[in-house]
Amino acid sequence: MMRLTAAEFRKVLTTRLWVWLLLASVAWTAGYCALAIAFGDRPGGLAPPLSTAAGQHTLFAIGAGGAGPLVAVLAVAGVTGEFRYGTAATTFLATPRRGRVVAAKMITYLLAGAGYALVCLAFTLAIALPWLASRGIHVTVAGRGNLGVLVAVVAATAIFGLAGAAAGTLVTGQLAAVAGMLIYLYVAEPLASHITALHGWTAYLPGVAADGLTQATQAGVRLLPPWQGGLVFAGWALALAAAGTRVTLRKDIT
Amino acid sequence: MVRDQAGHIVAAGLAKRFGGITAVDDLSFAAGPGQVTGFLGPNGAGKTTTLRMLVGLVNPDAGTATVSGQGYRALRAPGRVVGSVLEAGGFHPGRSGRDHLRVYCTASGYPLARADEVLEITGLAGAGRRKVRGYSLGMRQRLALAAALLGDPAVLVLDEPMNGLDPEGIAWLRGLLRDHARGGGTVLFSSHALLEVEQLADQVVIVSQGRLAFQGTLAGLAAGGTAVAVRTPEAGRLIGALARAGAQAERTGPDGLRVTGVLAAEVSRVARAEGIDLHELAPSRASLEQEFLALTAGQGESPAVPASRGGQVS
Repeated sequence: MMRLTAAEFRKVLTTRLWVWLLLASVAWTAGYCALAIAFGDRPGGLAPPLSTAAGQHTLFAIGAGGAGPLVAVLAVAGVTGEFRYGTAATTFLATPRRGRVVAAKMITYLLAGAGYALVCLAFTLAIALPWLASRGIHVTVAGRGNLGVLVAVVAATAIFGLAGAAAGTLVTGQLAAVAGMLIYLYVAEPLASHITALHGWTAYLPGVAADGLTQATQAGVRLLPPWQGGLVFAGWALALAAAGTRVTLRKDIT
Repeated sequence: MVRDQAGHIVAAGLAKRFGGITAVDDLSFAAGPGQVTGFLGPNGAGKTTTLRMLVGLVNPDAGTATVSGQGYRALRAPGRVVGSVLEAGGFHPGRSGRDHLRVYCTASGYPLARADEVLEITGLAGAGRRKVRGYSLGMRQRLALAAALLGDPAVLVLDEPMNGLDPEGIAWLRGLLRDHARGGGTVLFSSHALLEVEQLADQVVIVSQGRLAFQGTLAGLAAGGTAVAVRTPEAGRLIGALARAGAQAERTGPDGLRVTGVLAAEVSRVARAEGIDLHELAPSRASLEQEFLALTAGQGESPAVPASRGGQVS
């Protein structure tokens, strides 16, 4: 498995997409973080004040919102690219036990997600800590539940990577898979989760469950508590992974 | 691995349908070490599907395919046993050829330096660090072959490996495959062009509409009908003269004849006696082509052999 995971990492690192998506994640995170500090921290604003623990949690959770979906795009594009460019044949010739290949891909993008999250968190802290300090707000990273949020961001982004890889094995058309996932995350799910009548179950949708894990507050959206959200999101990812593995094992590579 | 099956490719009763279309139907054949086996058939005859079933990419509906006595997907280190060139499209355009090879070195546990060795063998050493996007079709074929050679396998399975190669590349590949077989290796390569197979293969497996049409040597195929191809401006008169000499001749075009029942020398003698000019007199080649066309009759979205001699395909 080590060998196969190393090979999958080599695939990711020998094309340029990971760089662009990481830059986009960082830009998204840094931008939102700066906006939240510059304009969000007003009396009567939607977000809780940054002097409170809740306000700081929301700030640190921003990283997951950018890196998560983008690492999922990386994973979907990487996995479906094997079918788009026909490298799947060479991959399965080298390793005919396809289940191991699929598992290696999922591990790879899980780790890539964690990596993306760590980079984004580093930028978040580099921006937020000095800025807030200049306003007299001294944030302790290890205190007031902040560390838990940072861990949750890493976990959520990692699961996004895994879920993306799994989704890519299910829908192997590259454009359809990437577009479908983005439409789901940014259109379908937000629409559904703002319908109050559906609040009983929208919290269990994968993206909303991920928000539950990091407690990325969105006004008017019901979230699960972190551990529940994490389990539900991981459950979705593993269900996708199981279905994708099953499909891949039976697939004719033509 | 069973010792006496080492290097043998055996297909037994292979069948595959895609939707309602039968691609391969009860196909059995074998290829062994020390020989180049040509897998010949028109486009759409099921060659690619068959080769992909051999290497575990396509699941057969019926039958089995084994290499060295085992199904491909049961091989412990498949890249050390079989090297496959499937089609010259299987590359990420944004990855360099060398990185492509290094990915599969890592996956199979070969040293990374092996990538540079196979680039050298396939004449791509200078292009290895360039992105595949900028490769010609011939370079992609060479890169696909390089990937197949990574594990230094005894068995090579190649799907239309000559496609896209320039004449020099074809000659080079022919030499490489012939040397591989001479060294005790097994080579199975597919082609839709009789000429390619004729120049390289020790034996042929001919498929038509997914079924086995012939397996054996090309000499054996040609012997099936000792025919002589003739081109003459006076085809009509020659038919008559040959008939009087006890031979049968049929037209293959305005000035082309296929003569059976006599040898080429006899055709020449009859023509000279009648004062008929001959523009072409080819004892075996046309007959081989005719046999091939007869075997694969009514098949293929494009003619298996260019009908440049005015040969009819049905």
